[in-house]
Amino acid sequence: MSQRIKSALLRHETILLAVLLAEWFYFDSVGRRFGSLDNTFDILRHSVEIGLLALVMTPIILTGGIDLSVGSLLGLCAILFGKMWRDAHMDPALAAVCTLGIGALAGGMNAALITGLRLPPLIVTLGTYSLFRGLAEAITRGVDTFTGFPQSFLNVGQERLGGLPTQVWLFAAVAVGVWLLVHRTTFGRSFRAIGFAPEGARYAGLPVERRLALAYVLAGVVAALAAIIYTARLGQAKADAGTGYELFAITAVVLGGTSIFGGTGSVHGTLLGVAAIGVLNNGLVHARQPREVAGLLTGALLLLALSSGALPKLLANFGTPRQSPNPPPTTR
Amino acid sequence: MAALLQLTRVTKSFGAVRALKGVSFALEAGEVHALLGENGAGKSTLIKVITGAHQPDGGQLEIGGKSVAHLTPAKARALGIACIYQQPALFPDLSVAENIALRLEKTSPAHRVRWAPRHARARELLHRIGAEIDPAAEVRALSMPEQQLVEIACALGAGARIVIMDEPTASLTQKEQHLLFAVVRELRASGTGVIYISHRLEEIFALADRVTVLRDGESVGTNRVDEINEASLIKMMVGREVSSIYPPAQSAPGEIVLSLKNLGCHASGVHGITLDVRAGEIVGLAGLVGAGRTELARVLFALTPPDAGTISLRGQRVRISSPQSAVAHGLAYVPEDRRRHGVILEMPIAANMTMAIHDALFPGAWLRLGAERSLSLDFIRDLAIKTAGPYAPGSSLSGGNQQKVALARWLATKPRVLILDEPTQGVDVGAKAEIHKIIRALARDGLAVLMISSDLPEILGMSDRIAVMRGGAIASVFEGKADAHEVMAAALGQSAGKEAA
Amino acid sequence: MGRYFRELSVAGALAVLLLVLAVMAPAFFEPQPLLSRLTREAPTLIVACGMALVIISRQIDISVGSLYGVCGVCAGLLAAAGWPLWALVPLSISLGGLLGAVNGALVAGLRLPSIVVTLATMVIAREGLRWQRQGAFVNLPDGLQWFGLSQRAGQFTLIGLALAILAALAWAMKNLSAGRFIHATGSDAEAARLAGIRPQFTTFAVFVFMGALTGLAALLNLVQSPQVDPKSGAGLELKAIAAAVVGGVAVSGGRGNLWGVFAGVLLLSCINPALTYLHVEAYWEKAIQGAIILLAVIADGIRTRRQTR
Repeated sequence: MSQRIKSALLRHETILLAVLLAEWFYFDSVGRRFGSLDNTFDILRHSVEIGLLALVMTPIILTGGIDLSVGSLLGLCAILFGKMWRDAHMDPALAAVCTLGIGALAGGMNAALITGLRLPPLIVTLGTYSLFRGLAEAITRGVDTFTGFPQSFLNVGQERLGGLPTQVWLFAAVAVGVWLLVHRTTFGRSFRAIGFAPEGARYAGLPVERRLALAYVLAGVVAALAAIIYTARLGQAKADAGTGYELFAITAVVLGGTSIFGGTGSVHGTLLGVAAIGVLNNGLVHARQPREVAGLLTGALLLLALSSGALPKLLANFGTPRQSPNPPPTTR
Repeated sequence: MAALLQLTRVTKSFGAVRALKGVSFALEAGEVHALLGENGAGKSTLIKVITGAHQPDGGQLEIGGKSVAHLTPAKARALGIACIYQQPALFPDLSVAENIALRLEKTSPAHRVRWAPRHARARELLHRIGAEIDPAAEVRALSMPEQQLVEIACALGAGARIVIMDEPTASLTQKEQHLLFAVVRELRASGTGVIYISHRLEEIFALADRVTVLRDGESVGTNRVDEINEASLIKMMVGREVSSIYPPAQSAPGEIVLSLKNLGCHASGVHGITLDVRAGEIVGLAGLVGAGRTELARVLFALTPPDAGTISLRGQRVRISSPQSAVAHGLAYVPEDRRRHGVILEMPIAANMTMAIHDALFPGAWLRLGAERSLSLDFIRDLAIKTAGPYAPGSSLSGGNQQKVALARWLATKPRVLILDEPTQGVDVGAKAEIHKIIRALARDGLAVLMISSDLPEILGMSDRIAVMRGGAIASVFEGKADAHEVMAAALGQSAGKEAA
Repeated sequence: MGRYFRELSVAGALAVLLLVLAVMAPAFFEPQPLLSRLTREAPTLIVACGMALVIISRQIDISVGSLYGVCGVCAGLLAAAGWPLWALVPLSISLGGLLGAVNGALVAGLRLPSIVVTLATMVIAREGLRWQRQGAFVNLPDGLQWFGLSQRAGQFTLIGLALAILAALAWAMKNLSAGRFIHATGSDAEAARLAGIRPQFTTFAVFVFMGALTGLAALLNLVQSPQVDPKSGAGLELKAIAAAVVGGVAVSGGRGNLWGVFAGVLLLSCINPALTYLHVEAYWEKAIQGAIILLAVIADGIRTRRQTR
């Protein structure tokens, strides 16, 4: 059984890798500049922010939860960063540190509501999704845009360091960190245990609330980091930064083989999922397809990935539908 | 006249466990037929066969004189079989009247709901069972016994000819009990057959016409209630010899490790628990389902933290506020529901075994897979766990081996006090003996063991002392070897003296 | 009346807000702007009613904003091609129902979580629409606006229609078996199955109905202006969820009253004009909306915690 689960996961990731390669060669054949080094770096740059969100979404989905607020939080953090730099005359580095703290606070707010009052993550993060974006709009009055950042800061998003785009190093550090957290520490074990059986985890003496809180706070901090990189890449911070990114992040995670019901999944799967979406987005531009097609295909991919997990289970149950039918999934 | 319900040599197995080994049972119209037996004697399986939830492997089932094959829950309902479970399946957000109506009405979605008749019928049905419940009240606001009365009203309204009551009085007050008895008598008078399951002997004598005793999945005998007394019923229930296959105690118990004084928890109904457990000693915790044994274990492990009394470990008063602090104080709890709480089925057994020692085995939260592997291999060897390897998921193991994994998880914490909750429930005979040997060996090494079990021979064979719980408190403690009748009588609330007379 | 506590407290909050406005900004109650504001909220009310049904059945649908846009644009294109209004009504409703059926099939048929399914369909519908239309408005033929009536008559017709639907739905949720099945499914799907109510089918039907209501609402939006904005549904799902949750629909399913949702819609619709009249910047609307959702679920969370103790 273990072998089967493992090989299924392996299969999933192999399939994803094959899809990724197919995407690559297809776009390479249609777009003239697609395979160039410059364009590869472009894909990397554009994937970093969504990739960061997907990385920290992975532990949350492993626990059987969800965080819809990360995209909005990115927007809020971006403009707060801009505000601290421009209006409070902070050094960009100091402003960045403060922004990370704000991200932690915002994640902590999600965590407190979810673990303290035992409210469903879905509705809590839907509320903060609206709240964070709304605060960003209120602070900027919907029009204020922060620009004119010093070049030293913009280098983080636009220049290269050691041959690679600077932010890729940050992304790699977070990726390695999250990979280790999920696959090599007791925290990862706890996330899975909570996702499989929250009560079972409690009976095993695991600090369920603290572990859940960690996952949501981490999401807040990394969303703040993504906001800083976003600002550096575009050279401006606007209230609508990161709109819809939560969908891309969730899609990347589910595409990467993590079960939306919690428990199974991997960070390397998520990385492949991010790559598949990044290449798709960029490749479609080179194939002279409108930008919207990318979103459309991402949504379709998400549905496909979800159904491919559910269909076999449904068919297996088909013989004995009356004996043990599952109630419909709930919003909880 | 044909019996309302006739079962002939019905058998049912779950994997290796033979739950019913050939049960014969007959229910006449207009009788109250009590079903009596220890926990695990096969009562619930039998009920599930009658309600169509389980298909029997063999034997015959006749309803109203007609042989019935492939009974489904829907078919059973159509044939007039209604079952009142201890945990009612009601809609918490809907009113009492509507709960009753949704059970009884079969309507198309476009049907117009007539609230006045719904309320009138609910009021009438509730009145018939003498329940003072407002039909407009929401079910979530009702107490458990009130919800049970609503279930009974549903069965009554469905015009059931066969009504099964599974320990209906377990949570009722005296007054509600009398009302319920009146309802049962009324059902009987109207020609309904009632299968009445209860552990309270006085109820059976007050209410039933006949009683059938189940033991180890077999029907031991059926008697008219006026032709039998309590003593012989208890004897029929315990019946068998306590076999000598249990490993003997060897060491003299040491110092007191766990000491409870007046421990209680209001939310879980446990109160006034005073009990000592010594090093090297196995204290058996006996009692019926619902007596508060698992609740006590959950209080000790702070899954539902205590709100009264004290806990001392080796003479030191301690405060246990969470499962983590319980573990830190050297307590270990192997829970009753192995599949939901004891083992995480989807995870490898190695991960399961180390789940309670994350901090000790993995300093700095860093997984040391090598150490984990060797630890789990040690346990697999020591406890003789039959598995494909340390990375096989828990779900691939048999019940007995899952239980050993659950045990290993807690032994790995090197506890001072081990609480076992039904350690051999649903485990086949071979694995059961092995688990008994392991428990005894642990005690011999100086562990203080508190063992909850509904298996009377297990309690008698394994325990150095036996505490019997009843109604959330300790009813009596037997020092040394006790006799099955005494323990059963204490659990049932009969004084031992009366029983001996 | 503990039973309608939540509904009454929303109505109370609404009354207080109106009172404050009456004192601080009497201009709020000038008839013509008030009528216009209420008219603009009519489609929102209908979508919020549908959302309430979805949440009562213990699901969620965040694709309604996108479906609203798709239905509006499709109906607009048909109208521009010369189709009469009476033909647009069934077409828009069926299109919405069909799109809702996709959600329903995925949620009830494949037993996938509704949040992720509708997140995906939301984006597919939104991006598909943007791709096809590139944000272009649809110009409607003359005679369609306000059903060809005068503006005032048209506004009254719209409000009347929305209120009639609200009243009919509120009545049906209480007095038709179908409505009770929705409550039962959301309260306990397993108990519903035991009682012979098919929870999967009910769930599917609720999503179809939600879609159909969205189609209708899109049409009621369409007749208010000479053009159809393809982005008109942006954020509608949040507004509808907020109105439902604020109006006392429990996110744990099974409980809710459409009159409470009505009060919720009115309360939320007052926020933006109230901000303007009270000289607070209108950009706070979204943040306040989020805060209100959170407050409502926190209040419910604390209440259920107390009940279970």
